Amino acid sequence: MSEKLKSPGMFSVRRTFYVSTRVLRQFVRDRRTFGMMIMMPILIMLIFGFALSGEVTNVPIIVQNSDQGATVFGNSVNFGSKLTDSLGKDSRVSVTLGDYQAGITEIDNAKGYFASILIPKNFTNEILAKLNKQPVNITINLYIDKTKPAIRASILGAIGDAIKSLSGQSFINVDEIGAFGGASYSGLDVAVPSVMGLVLTFLVLLVSLLTAIREDLGGTKFRLLSTPLTAREKVIGYVAALTLFALVEAMLVLVFGVYLFGATVKGNIWLLVFSAFIYGMVNVFLAIFLSNFVENELQAVQMGPLIAFPSMALSGMLVPVESMPPVAQFFSQFIPMTYAINIFEGIMLKGFSFDKLVPQFQALGIFALIFLLFSFLSSRDTMK
Amino acid sequence: MKYIVETENLMKHYEKGKIKAVNGLNLKIKEGEIYAFIGANGSGKSTTINMITGVLKPTSGHIKVMGYDMVKNRHKLSQYIGVAPQDYSVYTDLSVEENVMFFSRMYGVKGKIARERMKSILTILRLEERRKERVKNLSGGMKRRVSIACALIHNPKILLFDEATVGVDPVLRRDFWEYFRSLKENGQTLIITSHVMDEAERADRIGLIRAGVLIEEGTPAALKNKYNAQTIEDVFLTLSGDEAVDE
Repeated sequence: MSEKLKSPGMFSVRRTFYVSTRVLRQFVRDRRTFGMMIMMPILIMLIFGFALSGEVTNVPIIVQNSDQGATVFGNSVNFGSKLTDSLGKDSRVSVTLGDYQAGITEIDNAKGYFASILIPKNFTNEILAKLNKQPVNITINLYIDKTKPAIRASILGAIGDAIKSLSGQSFINVDEIGAFGGASYSGLDVAVPSVMGLVLTFLVLLVSLLTAIREDLGGTKFRLLSTPLTAREKVIGYVAALTLFALVEAMLVLVFGVYLFGATVKGNIWLLVFSAFIYGMVNVFLAIFLSNFVENELQAVQMGPLIAFPSMALSGMLVPVESMPPVAQFFSQFIPMTYAINIFEGIMLKGFSFDKLVPQFQALGIFALIFLLFSFLSSRDTMK
Repeated sequence: MKYIVETENLMKHYEKGKIKAVNGLNLKIKEGEIYAFIGANGSGKSTTINMITGVLKPTSGHIKVMGYDMVKNRHKLSQYIGVAPQDYSVYTDLSVEENVMFFSRMYGVKGKIARERMKSILTILRLEERRKERVKNLSGGMKRRVSIACALIHNPKILLFDEATVGVDPVLRRDFWEYFRSLKENGQTLIITSHVMDEAERADRIGLIRAGVLIEEGTPAALKNKYNAQTIEDVFLTLSGDEAVDE
């Protein structure tokens, strides 16, 4: 007669409890993971809250007031000056008095201005004529960068309020001419450059990081260190392989964005491929540098959002950099994605050629060199 | 007497000296011998191996390999050393052949020579028929053999096998030792670590390590004779007392 077997129970709260406590204990023991678990939500909320708290202010515009004014009952009147003064007092725009045509050139060459306004020379007279019920058409010329909807809305809002301030006149037309060929863009057109930047940041960084740490996790790191392979050769080997991967990622993003969803590319498509590739490389170098400080896959996976979220918040992907508080604007300069999105938008929406994007390419080049240098300096031929 | 590996007062400490993995080790290994480096788990064997291969920097002391300071000449000396680490340390998603060829290239062994040498090594290690197979699909013993093949491909002067026979069945272990003998006859020096004491009986000389210190050294016969013991395990137990040594 065999002994009667006891059942261990189909569901044990105690066993379940021990699984939970063991998992929590592992969390706490992996100090880096635990630190990230606590710090990441705080950091992300701080960065996002800070970056998104601002409204679009101080958008640089150029105003040419050609209004010659008029004399009414012995008093000189100049509605053009009043309009310019109103714009000057509006925090949404930052007015520079200048030449309308020169302003257009500045906008076309991405010199930091977003609109150029021309107030015509008989502006006051036309308003007076209109007030006397004469059939006149009053028009202000506005040359504007339409690629950033939030900035455009801010400029139009400021102009609208300034016009209303002229004794509540609503019969003044604004002849809006879009810069960069005058095209108006769909939501997708405006979104694709930013999405490209995000995909290249997140995916290239994460996959490169996971690939780079696989050597450590598989135990082959020790064996490789015992061969004549130098740390520099290893870094370059990884860079070469992963750069190829970055190129494939860049091509995929472009093919899907441009050919499948029909996103606008006004500039040279090959310049776009080149810029996506350069930005992919920046992330590969960053991943190889970071891989020296990552001990396991969990930490690597956490590293992706840790880089991607601040990049999203500060690069101008969600809100224009110009609308961020000054401190956030300062930090956005140290985010590679800021320059990548500028380049992607420049080529895709504004049709910029390489010569108009040299500063942005230079910035990405500097990031690439710094990360590569850090990768070399942090890779060692021996273990501690 | 010419020593191919010498260590002098070698130390490797961690956590500001709280952990003394190797603590004043003095080794003298002769060219062309099979030296068994025996000790319990955690006694400092692998740490010593990693310092001899140049992977770890000693906290203090000196390592000479072929008469040269290892720390200063790590890059040059690495060509003369082959190591099969304790874990398999091969790329499991690559095939047997791809692994061996990869390491041949790391050591600068060129195409035709590498291919001929690989064929010969894989035949001896009975891996020839599985050479196209991915390592992850192989048994533990086969993975161990792949690891050894990778260590042999550049025909090194010094071979370090860290727990090479752990988890290997008795028949394969016997074959391994036969192969180690043939390598010795070829003029190569073998340093084999193990925590299995009876393994050491087959070596030319034995070094017993405990808590990072060499506690005894000699031929198997001399050690057994000195301590009036039947086996090397008895020698080790005599030297260790009844104290547990697993750290």
